[in-house]
Amino acid sequence: MSDQSEALASAKAAADRLVKAKRLNACLTPVRELRKALVTQAQAAHPSGVLYGMPVAVKDNICTLEFTTTCGSKILEAYRSPYEATAVAKLKAAGALIAGKTNCDEFAMGSSTEHSAYGRTLHPFDKTRVPGGSSGGSAALVAAGAVPAALGSETGGSVRQPASLCGVVGIKPTYGRVSRWGLVAFGSSLDQIGVLGRSVHDAARVLAVISGRDPKDSTCEDRDPLRLPNVPESLQGFVIGIPKEYFPADLDPAVRRGCDRAVRLFKELGAAVREVALPHTAYAVPTYYILAPAEASSNLARYDGARYGPRFDGTADVRALYRTTRGEGFGAEVRRRILLGTYVLSSGYYDAYYRKAQQMRALIAQDFRNAFDRGVDLLFTPTTPSPAFKAGEKLNDPVAMYLSDIFTVTANLAGLPAISIPIGRIKGLPIGGQFIGQAFLEDEMLEAAYALERVVPATEEA
Amino acid sequence: MAGTATPEWETVIGLETHVQLRTVSKMFCGCSAAFGAPPNTNVCPVCLGLPGALPMPNGLALQLAVRAALALGCTVHPRSVLARKNYFYPDLPKGYQISQFEQPLSTEGSLSYLSPDRGIALATIQRLHVEEDAGKSLHDRFPKQTAIDLNRCGVPLIEIVTGPDFRSPQEARAYLLTLKQVLEYAGASDCDMEKGSLRVDANVSVRRVGEAVLGTKTEVKNINSFAYVEKALTVERDRQIALLEAGGKVEQQTLLYDAKTNGVRPQRAKEESHDYRYFPDPDLPPLVLGEEFIAEQQALLPELPAKKRERFVEKYQLSVTDAAVLTADRTVADYYEAVVHAGSGADAKVAANWVMTEVLADAKAHGDGLRVPAGALANLIGLVRGGTLSHQAAKRVFGEVADHGGEPRNVAEALGLIQVGDTGVVTGWVSDVLGAHPAEVARYKSGETKLLQFFLGQVMKLSRGKADPKLAQRVLEERLAA
Amino acid sequence: MSVTHDEVLKIARLAELEVSEEALPLLAEQMSRILEYVAQINAVPASEGVKPFVPGPDALRFRADEVKPIPLAFGPETLAPAFKDGFFLVPKLGAFEGADL
Ligand SMILES: [Mg+2]
Ligand SMILES: [Zn+2]
Repeated sequence: MSDQSEALASAKAAADRLVKAKRLNACLTPVRELRKALVTQAQAAHPSGVLYGMPVAVKDNICTLEFTTTCGSKILEAYRSPYEATAVAKLKAAGALIAGKTNCDEFAMGSSTEHSAYGRTLHPFDKTRVPGGSSGGSAALVAAGAVPAALGSETGGSVRQPASLCGVVGIKPTYGRVSRWGLVAFGSSLDQIGVLGRSVHDAARVLAVISGRDPKDSTCEDRDPLRLPNVPESLQGFVIGIPKEYFPADLDPAVRRGCDRAVRLFKELGAAVREVALPHTAYAVPTYYILAPAEASSNLARYDGARYGPRFDGTADVRALYRTTRGEGFGAEVRRRILLGTYVLSSGYYDAYYRKAQQMRALIAQDFRNAFDRGVDLLFTPTTPSPAFKAGEKLNDPVAMYLSDIFTVTANLAGLPAISIPIGRIKGLPIGGQFIGQAFLEDEMLEAAYALERVVPATEEA
Repeated sequence: MAGTATPEWETVIGLETHVQLRTVSKMFCGCSAAFGAPPNTNVCPVCLGLPGALPMPNGLALQLAVRAALALGCTVHPRSVLARKNYFYPDLPKGYQISQFEQPLSTEGSLSYLSPDRGIALATIQRLHVEEDAGKSLHDRFPKQTAIDLNRCGVPLIEIVTGPDFRSPQEARAYLLTLKQVLEYAGASDCDMEKGSLRVDANVSVRRVGEAVLGTKTEVKNINSFAYVEKALTVERDRQIALLEAGGKVEQQTLLYDAKTNGVRPQRAKEESHDYRYFPDPDLPPLVLGEEFIAEQQALLPELPAKKRERFVEKYQLSVTDAAVLTADRTVADYYEAVVHAGSGADAKVAANWVMTEVLADAKAHGDGLRVPAGALANLIGLVRGGTLSHQAAKRVFGEVADHGGEPRNVAEALGLIQVGDTGVVTGWVSDVLGAHPAEVARYKSGETKLLQFFLGQVMKLSRGKADPKLAQRVLEERLAA
Repeated sequence: MSVTHDEVLKIARLAELEVSEEALPLLAEQMSRILEYVAQINAVPASEGVKPFVPGPDALRFRADEVKPIPLAFGPETLAPAFKDGFFLVPKLGAFEGADL
């Protein structure tokens, strides 16, 4: 038996920090249960693991055996998964401690963590604002210093957008880099588990552990786990593309200033910078809001009150059971997206919406290939058009809410890896810059992020 | 009934057959696909449709599906797509069935079968695709509640869709029996309707003879045994004709066949017309099958029944009827050929008679396969041919070997059935018989030569069947001529 | 792209979602707005005939045919809101019967 004192100390400290962060409503696991579970895990943790004793919080749409998995939804209230996600199993095998489940928009549908059945998560720097979403709980906990890293999930930017708004690092890997087994599906062809960390390294080492092949997920590539690059001395030899579509005329001037500063910095590091065109960018959000709801409408059909989860009356017949369970169990945004997705797949509309969106997706992916084919290694863009917005501000305007994903959805549509790192602040609120990399070249993307992170004044006004 | 089959009306039937593939595990998870387990014991996150679970396709299921497609002469497409068919039903845990829609595994095949009305006929196979089965809903187990068993859920199926090619319920049945035979041969399925591994839905319409346009069709579901195929289709055909003759109209709808009442009833109210919202399953990359893979599956196919039948007629000089009996089941056909080719070889026609009578009767009576090894039967036939055993004695030996095993010669010896071919011994029996029947000897000698059979019978009786009948006859003739 | 109340109700029936009388007008209005917004992709003629793009492996991989279920930490009886004698229970099927395959 080896000495677990290191892991135990880490577990207790994490529990204390999580208690302190309680006011954010970022963690859905009750504190007492969490403390107990952390200690139990620490006692079982493998000292030889590369993440030995590291507390990692997990978004509540990723299945764990230790805690409930509610997806921020009433329809899965108190739901316990009888199996765990591959990513979680890999974390545990590496000695990490699962530090509770984090709040999120219901079924990851949202950009503010306001659409949670368990209350909204507060921005750690300004409680009147949102932390972004849907992985807002994970971002807030990392930003508050409660955990060094947390798992989130991405369908259209749900890791990078809250990372940007909370001033932490967020990585979305290449589609197929991390197994989706145990990640509750929203838009299967877009979903990936991602990592939020207080530094590029914290996020990257967690990503390396959860990456790699998994026979349980047919969409996971048959590849070895990601190997972490060294922190480069310079960016000599890197060609960084600046897509002009991501810097529209009406972009928040402070966001633009922050990005300009970052660009100056990596020029100083030796990188070549080149403007590129991604002409179909404007169609990314509409394309996304056809494909993601379409897949979601089918993925969420299983929540019918028949086999698991609570029932909301409806005893008359099975249809009544379905309709009341789904009508009451799902929140407004989820219902809206299910209806939207059902609509675009229904007979007579499939061609104009779904098929067309699939074709648009191909054009968007081709834009990226064209840029990379012309010698660009990475693209650099703002992560979000603005810093954290006020709670309630976009709740009744779904299209405005959808547009907060405008710079992030493209990577999901094209299946590419991307990372958001803090590049400055606007009136005290963090903003992030984004690298979009080539498929399965996360190592190059991480090198650039490591280099920029070292020099960028992340907490200074832009 | 006769009135409805008048030349005035033509029946048009198309069949959709769901066949369970012969695998040990399910289509998209490692759960057992075995029939008859206690409810909800062969289940896992995948087939329960738990949040976060993903499908993991079964390679053998795909191989068997391809073999079935090739056996039916279909074109197997190098690239096909698994799609989701979305609908709500309590025994469909995910709220969708993984099936194929726009780009199926295979299309455009055909199956030739013997129509009772038209002789050899060709059924077109429009498509053959793979899909997963749903669970089972039990409606009468608990009051006010439907009980759901998900053991079947995710069991691998192929769906085989024919054109509107059948002109009578009898033809539809003949096609199905032939289909079953081919799929069994291909090793794709055991086609056991009682265990639900073969299920049939039928599209039925009628039109006046000479009419070019098809009538409005109905879909008849829930036909769950071969015996019901003809009944269900006849009931529906007659219902439609009666309706039209009374000036009514056939409504396009789905009907359930009820074997208890031998009637059909509508499955659901019209307003619930379905919109399945098919789309490619984003959990499953495209099904890409290389030329090599397809060729491998083709090579694994055995000779199919029609081909085998022709070969038996030609090679073994059998009648078409005998060849059909021998090739109906692949095991029997293989057994027959093994008998013919075992050791020094048996006469093909004699062997055919043995297999069609003794062997099949024994298999039917005992239900545990072909109990006498092919080599043993060949030896047994050899003993008869060589004069060691009479045909009657050989039948006894066959039964004994079937029940207790053993080498036919040893068994025959133990039973004391070996024919005596020693001229001295046989001559002794002949002398005794002739001595005991002087009157008959006199009649024979005065020209009543057909009494030879009588003497022979007496010799066999006296020798308790052991005398070699050919030798006994020769000695008798010699002695009577003297 | 205006969606009528009836269309919303029809879609809601397909999706088995109860939509209340009060929620209907706002929902129809929001759906109309979203559909109008996403319909702008139809303005891109260049997408005609383009082969759809889906990320992930190019071809399906297969597992061996062996009985090897993913273990459940606890069984369906623990998961289910209603379970008896080994069966999941749901209220009787009303309008529809017989599985569709
Ligand atoms: Mg089917
Ligand atoms: Zn299973």
